Amino acid sequence: MSGSRRSLLVASATLMAVSSACTTSEGAAPPRERMVRDAWARFADSGATSGAYLTLVNGDTVATTLVGASSPWARATEVHETMQHDGMAHMQARPSITIAAGDSLVMAPGAVHVMLIDLVRAVAVGDTVPLMLRFDNGDSLAVPVPVRTP
Amino acid sequence: MRRALTRSTGALLAAWLFSGCESHAVFDGVAVDPPRPMAAFTFARADGSPFATAPEPGRPMVLFFGYTHCPDVCPTTLADWKRAKAQLGDAAARVRWVFVSVDPERDTPAVAQRYATQYDASFVGLSGDPMTTANIMQAFGVAAAKEDAPTASGYLVSQSSQVFLVDDTGALVALYPFGTRWEALAADLGRVLRRTPLPK
Repeated sequence: MSGSRRSLLVASATLMAVSSACTTSEGAAPPRERMVRDAWARFADSGATSGAYLTLVNGDTVATTLVGASSPWARATEVHETMQHDGMAHMQARPSITIAAGDSLVMAPGAVHVMLIDLVRAVAVGDTVPLMLRFDNGDSLAVPVPVRTP
Repeated sequence: MRRALTRSTGALLAAWLFSGCESHAVFDGVAVDPPRPMAAFTFARADGSPFATAPEPGRPMVLFFGYTHCPDVCPTTLADWKRAKAQLGDAAARVRWVFVSVDPERDTPAVAQRYATQYDASFVGLSGDPMTTANIMQAFGVAAAKEDAPTASGYLVSQSSQVFLVDDTGALVALYPFGTRWEALAADLGRVLRRTPLPK
């Protein structure tokens, strides 16, 4: 295959990709661009507190704000952040966290996490915790969170 | 001749350096130098048996102060202990891994024990009476305070988040601030165990 022919093929493929993307965006419901990856939760007994972690990717062109979370497996679910000062660990509720366009919120041990408070059932390795994330525009995002050995 | 002299000087220097390493223990964690003798405390366990932090020959002790409603720092620490224990292999059986609750108001001895053993059956979870809790925290320089902000879990606790390594003479030899890689604790425990004779 000659170099010019290969270039032509690449250009055609690119055009097709662009046009299909345009078709999608012109549809009735624009795709939600929030994505979650690397979600996991800690095991815990019924009545105890578990922690969940995930990376929330805002692939949209505008900022998005996480304003809460809930799970039918916990009597309360809150987003908190652990901070270290002078050898002390402090936790602070984060009622809203704004994620800029194209940015990600990376939850991690020792940082932002979801607290699953007063679990209504034991959460064991192999379970998948149903978690719902809520955003300031009224959107919700269902996230299955596998429980794994921390 | 000159080369031989250089070699012997080098050997002497190495010997001196090596002896220096022997007399001042090297830790991957934050060394407590000189090691600080710690007072001993006795807790009642869930089954009524006592657990004393008094030194046991041949058995170093790792301590952490936390609370069972803690969803982040405490589980992270106990999970790190489990990794360190696995890395140490059979030698880890000599280590006493001790989680002490700073929240005796909510953590009964049974709850504290259950919390610790979720991570490893050999981990000890303790929750003492308020006086014992206050005294051991003071001895280790540990602080804890209820956070003002309410939460659905009742209240949150701010607490000192470092891990303490106590050798088999009851002396505090190193600290591990939260965020220290677990490999540091594993490496230091390995060193301490190697220089700690097994009781006869």
